[in-house]
Amino acid sequence: MSFGLEAVGLVRTFGGLRAVNGVSFQLHPGELLTVFGPNGAGKTTLLRMLGGVMRPTSGQVRVAGAPADVASRDWRHRVGIVSHQSLLYGQLTIEENLRFYGRLFGLTDLKTRIPERLASVGLTDRRRTPVRDLSRGLKQRAALARALLHDPEVLLLDEPYTGLDPHASGVFREQLASLKDGRHTVVLVTHNLIQGLELADRVAIQIQGCFSSVTDAGSLDLSGFQALYHAAVADRA
Amino acid sequence: MRTYLRLVWAVARKDLLVELRTHERLTAMGAFVVLIGVLFNFSIDTALVRPQDIAAALIWMTIIFGGMLGLGNTFRLEQEDGALSGILQSPIPLDALYLGKVLGNFILLSVMVALVFAVFGLFFSLQFSGNPIALLGVVVFGVVGFVSLTTLFSAMATRSSMGENLLPVLVFPLLIPVVVYGTTATDRLFAGRPVAEVSGNLRMLLAFAIIFTVAGAGLFRFVIEE
Repeated sequence: MSFGLEAVGLVRTFGGLRAVNGVSFQLHPGELLTVFGPNGAGKTTLLRMLGGVMRPTSGQVRVAGAPADVASRDWRHRVGIVSHQSLLYGQLTIEENLRFYGRLFGLTDLKTRIPERLASVGLTDRRRTPVRDLSRGLKQRAALARALLHDPEVLLLDEPYTGLDPHASGVFREQLASLKDGRHTVVLVTHNLIQGLELADRVAIQIQGCFSSVTDAGSLDLSGFQALYHAAVADRA
Repeated sequence: MRTYLRLVWAVARKDLLVELRTHERLTAMGAFVVLIGVLFNFSIDTALVRPQDIAAALIWMTIIFGGMLGLGNTFRLEQEDGALSGILQSPIPLDALYLGKVLGNFILLSVMVALVFAVFGLFFSLQFSGNPIALLGVVVFGVVGFVSLTTLFSAMATRSSMGENLLPVLVFPLLIPVVVYGTTATDRLFAGRPVAEVSGNLRMLLAFAIIFTVAGAGLFRFVIEE
């Protein structure tokens, strides 16, 4: 059986800086990996390479066993991205944004699919609201609807809780929890230890571009992991 | 092929929809055209110079500078809230993305060009006695070449730290053939010369339009990919 998502020796350099330095991991379908790390650890760069937005300097990404080359487009149907940015057009309504992205993904059943996705994130009533008029929490839910519109198997989440108040954060967390259905392979990147551990099956700590450890989340408690994290960060500092 | 064209239209349609909501680029281009028309109207002594004789140069300069105002912002929208990353993550071929942006820009610029002719016609009471189809060909081919080139370099400028300041420096030297052939052909048509006298210019403008568009579609991924 092939892995849902696989990174093989991913490296990305910017001039002399190695932002991501030989990261490898394998995730089975249905697994959720949380990548922790301090600012500047290369987490976002890693996620951009996993999502095909950025070309690795070396190494490879495989989605469901197939090489996910930046130049090829077909595998992108299998991947969705939620970032701390909404990736939406503020001047367009949520519905118009979803229709635009649906067309880019070649979806033909948008008349039924868009209302379904909007209902799943609780935005049916706001479908005609321009994105710029939404609160941060609602915008992030719209971003999740966009990322899930084409029903991807792999979901990449880059600091999705950034800027959310506790209530919005809780609502968003529930929506992420519903993705733990055994079908979605998820990579969550965050520096928030509590939110990151809640849903994780496996956790990794990324420091200065490298994974310093990859552990099963089941064996971790928060205080133990906090100690491990701070020790790992201090070690590399 | 139909799927590909649908993708191109989806991008153009989105850009036009955003423009309809904001009127940002059309307002800037339209205001520029009217102001330039007013300024030329006062600065040209019609007792000494016949507007008819310099109309072609004024029209093309206004199209180029006014167009640059609007087209320079082509990718600014995509930068807001990371929308470009969203598009790059989607399966749309990057050449289709480029052609969609070119199509959207072409439609916007066509509106501006219509305004240019209206404003200059009004202020200078221009008499046109040439072949209107040939003039349409000159304008369309010239605008396609201009838009193709500017859209590509606008993407490049967006990626550069110098941003929009870099755009005119990059684009103007490459636009010289469009300006020279466009101005000459328009001049002759305004003077009522036969189409045969501008057919060479028309062919050159068409050639540049095709070269710039094909090259832009091919090079776009090197500009836009990280």
